[in-house]
Amino acid sequence: MAETSWLSEIPQLSRGELRDIRKGLDGIYRDFSREYGEAIEALFDPLLAFLVWFEKLLLASPWFLVIAVIAGLAWIASRSWKLVLGVVVSFFMIGYFGMWDDTMRTMSIILVCTMMAIALGVPIGIAMARSDRVQSTVTPMLDIMQTMPAFVYLIPVVMLLGIGKIPGVIAVIIYAIPPVIRLTNLGIRLVDKDVLEAATAYGANSVQRLMGVQLPLAMPTIMAGINQTIMMALSMVVIASMIGVKGLGQPVLKSITNQYFTLGLLNGLAIVALAIIFDRVSQAYAKRSQLHMEGLDNG
Amino acid sequence: MKRMAKTALLAAAPFLLASSFTQAADDCGKVTIADMNWSSATLIANVDRFILEHGYGCEAELVPGDTMPTGTAMIEKGEPDIAPEMWSNSMKDALDKGVAEKRLRYAGNSLSDGGEEGFWVPEFLVNKYPELATIEGVKKHAKLFTHPEDPDRYAFYGCPAGWNCQISAGNLFNAMKLEDSGFEMIDPGSGAGLAGSIAKAFTREEAWFGYYWAPTAVLGKYKMVKVDFGSGVDKDEFVNCTSAEDCLNPKPTMYPPSVVQTVTTETFAAKSPTAYDYVANRSFTNNQMNGLLAWMEDNQADGEVAAEHFLTEYESSWTAWVSPEVAAKVKAALQ
Repeated sequence: MAETSWLSEIPQLSRGELRDIRKGLDGIYRDFSREYGEAIEALFDPLLAFLVWFEKLLLASPWFLVIAVIAGLAWIASRSWKLVLGVVVSFFMIGYFGMWDDTMRTMSIILVCTMMAIALGVPIGIAMARSDRVQSTVTPMLDIMQTMPAFVYLIPVVMLLGIGKIPGVIAVIIYAIPPVIRLTNLGIRLVDKDVLEAATAYGANSVQRLMGVQLPLAMPTIMAGINQTIMMALSMVVIASMIGVKGLGQPVLKSITNQYFTLGLLNGLAIVALAIIFDRVSQAYAKRSQLHMEGLDNG
Repeated sequence: MKRMAKTALLAAAPFLLASSFTQAADDCGKVTIADMNWSSATLIANVDRFILEHGYGCEAELVPGDTMPTGTAMIEKGEPDIAPEMWSNSMKDALDKGVAEKRLRYAGNSLSDGGEEGFWVPEFLVNKYPELATIEGVKKHAKLFTHPEDPDRYAFYGCPAGWNCQISAGNLFNAMKLEDSGFEMIDPGSGAGLAGSIAKAFTREEAWFGYYWAPTAVLGKYKMVKVDFGSGVDKDEFVNCTSAEDCLNPKPTMYPPSVVQTVTTETFAAKSPTAYDYVANRSFTNNQMNGLLAWMEDNQADGEVAAEHFLTEYESSWTAWVSPEVAAKVKAALQ
């Protein structure tokens, strides 16, 4: 072993040393979770209580009420009869094919996840756009979040918090938040410098510039980010179900392991329907609010 | 004259043997081995790969697998060639049909004691409350097993979605009326999720009650006690009702030991009989396997490293499965 040249073979830790490093890190993590696990779990308790409450609310409400509320939201956001009709028909089909409860569970957790992703992501994106230093630290973190295989960080999270909704939410947010952060940053950075100068000349302070000029002008890009975030959150449903999150992911998982083709397809389509509804409604809302902005500009 | 002929024959015997052996090796060709995603199966798969490659001249290759997909692919497509650790109860009908249609062969038992399944509670908990070793005790102390999401219910960690044990665990859950005692069956979603929940319970010394199986590193590492249902093993009931999805009125029974077999495709068995003989002979006891799994866990070894460890340290076990010539070749390759 000793005489192998470093020219022909890459210098490598011996198996023993590598093992010690791995065992050492695992040990540190175990001690950490033993020490702080309970405290961290308590920190997430309010969120868990909210998630449980929201899911129970959706499950307990009569189906026509849920469809009516969602259709109403779609109408308020889009003012399009076609979209509202699409929403009603797809939810009716989901119920008709016996996926109502699972869909409600998935919808409740995904709604909470996307809300949190947007609430966290947009401010982080703004901070990134305003400071190059923030951008250079956040970007590699986003790269890690998007490429690290989910189970690598999921199992430590499970060891810390157990299986169920909270690790599921963490997994979904880690995976789904990068697009909204990246595109908020990009959108603001792409706002024309001349426009900003003009705003400054009119005496706008930095908050006014942000709220009145940068964010509205960056809105199409930010909405593209939100769209990607919604899609990625829904695509994580199956991964989340692998750590015990109830919903559409579990039947999909069941059909993967048993090759139940139709069951997998139906539940997969239900996920797609949710994604399309979420996306169309949010995009329609954004487009309408921008029309309004354009009207102001022209006026 | 007669005598000379005899000597000549004797002298030629090794050559004859050697040539028949080389021919068998040539016939072996490409062999795919299912590398199932749990430790004992991946260890056996790696041992098979090493021995088939170096002892029998096969072009052995590992392909990722899992009980259901691998079993189905072997029946339908004749690929992979070898499933080294098939818990055949979990898809008995399909496998039996494959054997009847001459697509598959049950080569032998890869775990001679068979697999052990059951409902388990941590040993440290049983030391505190000895009644927990029986199902009545678990029901009595149901309050210990807090549900992660619902304060009014207690947690029973079932078998992951889509695994066959989901059916049997669910039927036993109903048979013992655990729901009436406030338990809810939680679907952990994956083997990793289930193991993670056990690891969490042990690092934090919390109560845990659920389904698991042996031999596994998890049960080697975390000492658990199998809960006694007080019913004994009722094999008929288990086969006809407990493991059937449409069992309407399940009755309690302990899990009978599962048959854990090596399954090969008929093509492989016909094409390379000597290699097939090895696969048929190769068998581990649970005791030995638990020791190996604990070693893997302690050393964070993957299947390949563990196979090497097994082949170098447990020579007397594996040399019994092969002919001396093959053993010599494998030993040479280990150097």
